[in-house]
Amino acid sequence: MKFNLFRAADGTEGGGSPAGPPVIAAPPVVHSSAPMGPTKIAARDVSVFYSGKQALYDVTLDIPDKTVTALIGPSGCGKSTFLRTMNRMNDTIPGAKVTGRIEMDGEDINAKSVDPVLLRARVGMVFQKPNPFPKTIYENVAYGPRIHGLAASKSELDSVVEASLKRAGLWEEVADRLHSPGTGLSGGQQQRLVIARAIAVEPEVILMDEPCSALDPIATAKIEELIDELRERYCIVIVTHSMAQAARVSQRTAFFHMGRLVETGDTEDIFTNPRERRTLDYITGRFG
Amino acid sequence: MTWLFLPILIAAAVAAYVGGRALARRRGRSLPAGERSHSRPGQHGAYALIWTVVPALVVLMGASVFSPNIERQLTASGAPEAVQQLEPFRREAFFADARAVGAGRPAVQIWPAPYAELLPTEGQRASRIGQMLDLGAIVGAALAALLGALFVFGQIRPGMRARNRVEGWIVGLLFACSAVAVLTTVGIIASLVYDSLRFFSTVPLAEFLFGTQWSPQTAIRADQVGSTGAFGALPLFVGTFLIMLIAMAVAAPVGLFSAIYLSEYAGPIFRATVKPVLEILAGVPTVVYGFFAALTVGPAFREFFNGLGALMVGGPLDGLGQYLMLVQNQMALVAGAVMGIMLIPFVSSLSDDIINAVPQSLRDGSYAMGATKSETVKRVLLPAALPGVAGAMLLAMSRAIGETMIVTMAAGLAARLTLNPLDTVTTVTVQIVTLLTGDQEFNSPKTLSAFGLGLTLFLVTLVLNIVAQRIVQTYRQQYD
Amino acid sequence: MRAARLRAGLKRRYAREGRFRLYGLLAIGVAVGFLLLLLGRIIEQGHTAFYTHTVTVPVYMDPARVDRAYPQGTNFELLVAEQQLARMGVADDAQGTKAAAMRSLFSSELKFAAAARIQGNPNLVGQTVPIAAPVSDDADLYFKHEISRATPADQRRLSDEQISWLDRMKASGLVATHFNSGLFTKGDSTEPELAGVLGAVVGSALMLVVTALIAIPLGVGAALYLEEFAPRGRITDLIEVNINNLAAVPSIIYGLLGLALFINWMHLPRASPLVGGLVLALMALPTIIIATRSSLKAVPPSIREAALAMGASKTQTVFQHTLPLAMPGVMTGAIISMAHALGETAPLLLIGMVSFIPGIPHSLGEPTGALPSLVYIWENASERAFHERTAAAILVLLAFMIVMNAAAIFLRRRFERRW
Repeated sequence: MKFNLFRAADGTEGGGSPAGPPVIAAPPVVHSSAPMGPTKIAARDVSVFYSGKQALYDVTLDIPDKTVTALIGPSGCGKSTFLRTMNRMNDTIPGAKVTGRIEMDGEDINAKSVDPVLLRARVGMVFQKPNPFPKTIYENVAYGPRIHGLAASKSELDSVVEASLKRAGLWEEVADRLHSPGTGLSGGQQQRLVIARAIAVEPEVILMDEPCSALDPIATAKIEELIDELRERYCIVIVTHSMAQAARVSQRTAFFHMGRLVETGDTEDIFTNPRERRTLDYITGRFG
Repeated sequence: MTWLFLPILIAAAVAAYVGGRALARRRGRSLPAGERSHSRPGQHGAYALIWTVVPALVVLMGASVFSPNIERQLTASGAPEAVQQLEPFRREAFFADARAVGAGRPAVQIWPAPYAELLPTEGQRASRIGQMLDLGAIVGAALAALLGALFVFGQIRPGMRARNRVEGWIVGLLFACSAVAVLTTVGIIASLVYDSLRFFSTVPLAEFLFGTQWSPQTAIRADQVGSTGAFGALPLFVGTFLIMLIAMAVAAPVGLFSAIYLSEYAGPIFRATVKPVLEILAGVPTVVYGFFAALTVGPAFREFFNGLGALMVGGPLDGLGQYLMLVQNQMALVAGAVMGIMLIPFVSSLSDDIINAVPQSLRDGSYAMGATKSETVKRVLLPAALPGVAGAMLLAMSRAIGETMIVTMAAGLAARLTLNPLDTVTTVTVQIVTLLTGDQEFNSPKTLSAFGLGLTLFLVTLVLNIVAQRIVQTYRQQYD
Repeated sequence: MRAARLRAGLKRRYAREGRFRLYGLLAIGVAVGFLLLLLGRIIEQGHTAFYTHTVTVPVYMDPARVDRAYPQGTNFELLVAEQQLARMGVADDAQGTKAAAMRSLFSSELKFAAAARIQGNPNLVGQTVPIAAPVSDDADLYFKHEISRATPADQRRLSDEQISWLDRMKASGLVATHFNSGLFTKGDSTEPELAGVLGAVVGSALMLVVTALIAIPLGVGAALYLEEFAPRGRITDLIEVNINNLAAVPSIIYGLLGLALFINWMHLPRASPLVGGLVLALMALPTIIIATRSSLKAVPPSIREAALAMGASKTQTVFQHTLPLAMPGVMTGAIISMAHALGETAPLLLIGMVSFIPGIPHSLGEPTGALPSLVYIWENASERAFHERTAAAILVLLAFMIVMNAAAIFLRRRFERRW
């Protein structure tokens, strides 16, 4: 219901909206009272090295389920690096090494017995720039279920695609052109398509690496709206450059600086009453 | 004698440069204090050099183009009656021998009575004419250089923009260099079209393109049997196509898979070892592949198929066995397979570039979905790279069609209309080489047909290249 | 349910992954394996050409048969054959078939060697002089174990008797094995044991000099114009498309161009290094232009701007800054395209380099062979002894190409600059 209201607002005043979220106010009060799940991912002393150079130092952090956790900090502070440890995307970078322990539901995801392919089916990821495959919208969403063999029949696949697109709030915009190329959509639509692609395999965790940095304010607002809805079902970790965005969408915030985790806590606390001087300097815009 | 102009030219160039520089310095001194001449003295010198050397070169080039004809006419017109009555090409031969005799060498031909005595005197006269013309050219060139120098020395003054003028000449020269590339194309088209038109005036185009009989051996004398050749080139086109198909069947999968392995799987050390190997393979001259195909692969394949045939003879596949036992070294399969190997590095390096042009974000997207490497390659990278890969394959096809040495050495000469890879076929390039390397009289349709084949080959490869380059360019722009 | 499904497919997916990876490795294996096979076969076939066998026979310079004044007229081969038969105690028949069989074991070089000795010292007539000469190609092949007794007599080129003679001569120490220096010091010959690659090497070298002198300045000039001076427009685009296409035109088309333009129209001498060099220059031109342009592109614009800001003219900027900085790349490209030109064969065949040309060329205007065309000619020759020499000629050709490519790699490593 809320979503449709928003769409109407977008249609009427889309063009002239100022830089900044036009409709959604930032109500951290609501968020802090939101139900927070048990710990989904527990990181203990995680360090990352790229070809011998250390990029992340001993990060220890608990990430609760059914919550949006924001990782903030200046460029190169290690927040994206930390994000990529949670679905072992660092494995694809030659020369990358991860030490420490990351547990998901109590299981070490870096253990030999854990298959990165299965792990990534449980931990979805959305990237900075929308990266739909050069295939149709339908094929993009069906990609995960197909490679993992999750749909037994064509009709099951159809319903998975439809459900995912609906959950990503894209269904009504693309229902009549499921078989046109995904690259033909607008930037914001592409990013929602990529989110639909990620949730089509029913992951438990969704990692988002600055998902709105390539989008205009209106598209950003839609994605933020979507993130808020998805929180009910998934554990979401979002890396963002924008303090305002962290304040708007997250319940928990972790502040990274120079490869170290400086401070973590409820978003409201971090933004109103930071314990560390560096956090205060960053959120008040003194550096970053 | 003709090389005498070179030191003269160099001396004139140095003199003009030094003179121009000195003159510019002297005239520059007359300027009021605080004012400077527009260009440096050296630039004036360079300008003087250009105006001295270029006129001389123009005269010399003109002389070298026109003097052979002038010499021919002068020697012929001053010759005795008997020599003048010879046919033109006999007259040429006569003067060639006359020059030889005049220079103290023996004549190539044996000349009958009136001519034999004329040889020494005519030889001396001909070489005198030649010397006169050479001298004339050098004097003319010197005169042109002198006039140019006089003109340019009058021009030198402090206000002249010598630098800009010299630079104008340089840019003009560079433009002329790039015009050579265009002239090459014009030259190719002109030479192919000119002789092809002469060919198509005797053999209709439709017969050439769709005729199924190819036997260009026309008789030397008109009364010989089979004096008219048949010029239906369809069997050649089919043979070329067949060998190209076999080559692509080898090169396309092997080249593509090597490229995929190198760009997606191989570690840096493996890549650093294999890439040079592929580069060596690409650098091996095709004549070496031809040698290898003819003396190693051909006999090996024949032995294999003959052995296979021997096993089948007498069995239920007796007919096939009999056929296999007669398979020859020159089967299309041999030339095609070796050509395919030759094309592997070509296909592989083109595909490597193209696969690498696919943005990393697509790979990341796929891996983050939990796809394995092969799933990412098959379902994301290859579909994304498809147009580029298609372009690369077209370029490889164009290469296969135009490849000459492997087929000349390893394929046959029999123009057969077949798609059987175990048969011997012949190709367009093989026929061009065969037609133009034997004894040739220049105006027979047999020789001219090679130019018809060349024109066809040129047009086909041109279209393939243009289409392929377009596709690859559009593909690259998509990800830039 | 979902986890079960995920797990169920996993084994199959990894099997597919493994297979796919294997195909990739296999493809590379094919390419590398083939290169090894090719080189191995050529070395195997060619290494025997680098040594050869010489026979040294004592020759009695019979005054009745050797003319002091005109020793060239003597049939030394028959003389030697008859004397050798006599020494080995073999009686000849009336037709002299045995002498003919013996004679065919010696190279015709024997005749020239003997005649030269007499010419140098006519007093040798009447004496016995040891004369050394190569054995004939077939005898050489026998000593290299390429003709074997095991082959039925009617399928080999030496009879049982000839083979036994060869064995006896070898046993008596007349036959010596040594490095085949003739291969590198002689021109082509119709007799394999006397044929060498020097004529072709010199021909190729002359041709490459012509090619380099024409193609490199023209190519660099054209690239400079297109990259630095040309106004962006339709004419420039046309030239660019044109150059890209010229680079992909089949080489045999250039042969047709050379035949029509340089030989039939301009009447330049057939099969000469001049014409060959011109044709190869036209072929190498587009490659050099493309290589030069890409190394000019790699020079950062900041350097051009710095020079222009100092008041240098456009031409001064290009010739004093851009071109010198791009020079390593230009030279690398030029050497690689010269190496390609060295191996190019098809166009040479069309301009006449298929005929047998003995001797070593001395000028740009006389007919000559080239290394790749020599490979083609020898490969076509019927004598089996030419096969090993073809492979040897290929090894010489490859050695030149390796040296050139190594020079290019050295230049690239030594002078390459990353901006």
